[in-house]
Amino acid sequence: MAAVAVHQFAECITCHAWSPDQSMVAFCPNNSEVHIYKLFGEKWEKMHVLSKHDQIVCGIDWSLKSNKLVTVSHDRNSYVWSQEGTEWVPTLVILRLNRAALCVQWSPKENKFAVGSGAKSICICYYEQENNWWVSKLIRKRHESSVTNVAWHPDNILLATTSTDGKCRVFSTYIKGVDSKESESSSSDLKFGEQIAQLDLSVTWAFGVRWSPSGSILAYAGHNSMIHFIDDVKSNPSAQSIPLRDLPLRDLLFLSDRVVVGVGFDCNPMIFTADDTGLWSFTKFLDQRKAAPSSSRGSQLSEAFGKLYGTSKQVPSNDTVEPSKTRGGAHENCITCIVPLWKRGNTTLCRFSTSGLDGKVVIWELDIPK
Amino acid sequence: MAAEEEYLEAEENLEAIITRIEHKSRKIETLLKQSKPVDALKTALEGSALKTRDERCKSANWIVVHRAVMAIKDVDGMISSLDPEYYDILMKYLYRGLATGDRPTCDQCLRIHEKLTEKAGLGCILRSLSDTVNTV
Repeated sequence: MAAVAVHQFAECITCHAWSPDQSMVAFCPNNSEVHIYKLFGEKWEKMHVLSKHDQIVCGIDWSLKSNKLVTVSHDRNSYVWSQEGTEWVPTLVILRLNRAALCVQWSPKENKFAVGSGAKSICICYYEQENNWWVSKLIRKRHESSVTNVAWHPDNILLATTSTDGKCRVFSTYIKGVDSKESESSSSDLKFGEQIAQLDLSVTWAFGVRWSPSGSILAYAGHNSMIHFIDDVKSNPSAQSIPLRDLPLRDLLFLSDRVVVGVGFDCNPMIFTADDTGLWSFTKFLDQRKAAPSSSRGSQLSEAFGKLYGTSKQVPSNDTVEPSKTRGGAHENCITCIVPLWKRGNTTLCRFSTSGLDGKVVIWELDIPK
Repeated sequence: MAAEEEYLEAEENLEAIITRIEHKSRKIETLLKQSKPVDALKTALEGSALKTRDERCKSANWIVVHRAVMAIKDVDGMISSLDPEYYDILMKYLYRGLATGDRPTCDQCLRIHEKLTEKAGLGCILRSLSDTVNTV
């Protein structure tokens, strides 16, 4: 019901991704390289080091069917890596950005990938067979600030983005020749770069946008410690905003249409569930908590508050000084990335991994009630 | 364009807001005379016009809230009987109080801040700091 495995790979991990068979993990140890480790029994061995980028690799995604790695970096470049034998061969993708790339995700059909950037634009890249290279198409309008996260809708055409301007937008990324015209979607939505919806629920930076597995619910986190759930974005959007008790979230993951895991500055995954009427609420923290919420929340915090309250004559000063270090959970620092680990044959997701600024990758397993 | 429209709308309603605050002030004085400081604070907090940009309205509302806050003696009781929807607004006013630098105000606000943080958590503080739209 909690952390199944904890692996300390580096001092700090920016992002990570798993291979299709989940035997290898690729991550960026907060530098310009991508390290790929493979599990041999109980030990992790460093198999490959991919070092083509010049600056921090801030986004990695590993396609499950075609076994391709895509990496994007602050150096405004992106590489698609394919495994040939024992080597990983990079293919440069010219994104045509003049600012850092911030996030990347393969589309569900893995024929496109989306990159969010600090240039207030998104790049949709697809493979052109005739020229044997990846072409990047930019969506330049609409965003007023950096795009922090991107999320593909299961239909392979709609893309949701969150930005530091606080808004969540949904765009159409239909590309003639790459996407087939589905009979359900109306032709007006199909124009590339067309904005389908703009959600203005957060006054602060927005992170971690995700679609539910069925594509009917959209969720994203605001930096003011709130999480927003939007139902039926395309036709009749109805939103729910839940204020969180503690620190903000950085990333989300839908385990099913009714269960969401949020990770962030609390270093502890949070579970949100929807009841039968579709009303979302916070259920619990996944990891064990060190102390009861009413007493000290961790040494540094109580010390700081103690000094703050201690100056007032009426309030007795806080004398308990606990040794700082572990809060007692799996992660010791902000969790920045959460990745699903699908088990073959399962329709609901119950395994996922998180990585954070403490350099750990933790694998969690849950029992989800049907 | 949208910002301008909002501003004009607020200007028209300024008189209405000021009237409402005066009305609240009288109600609060009555409640305080009846030794009901918790109800007084609730009255002060509800109906606060947070979206307006007009400084006079904000100051007027602050004076009213300040009056109610200073009258609170039993902080624990007040926090436990306050509706959760008012936590964020109260936290914003507490920070305004702490910013005044006036010793008795700061003492009282600090006392309430400690209890409110215990009850509402750090998220409440975050929302009061990061919200630039609904300000006090």
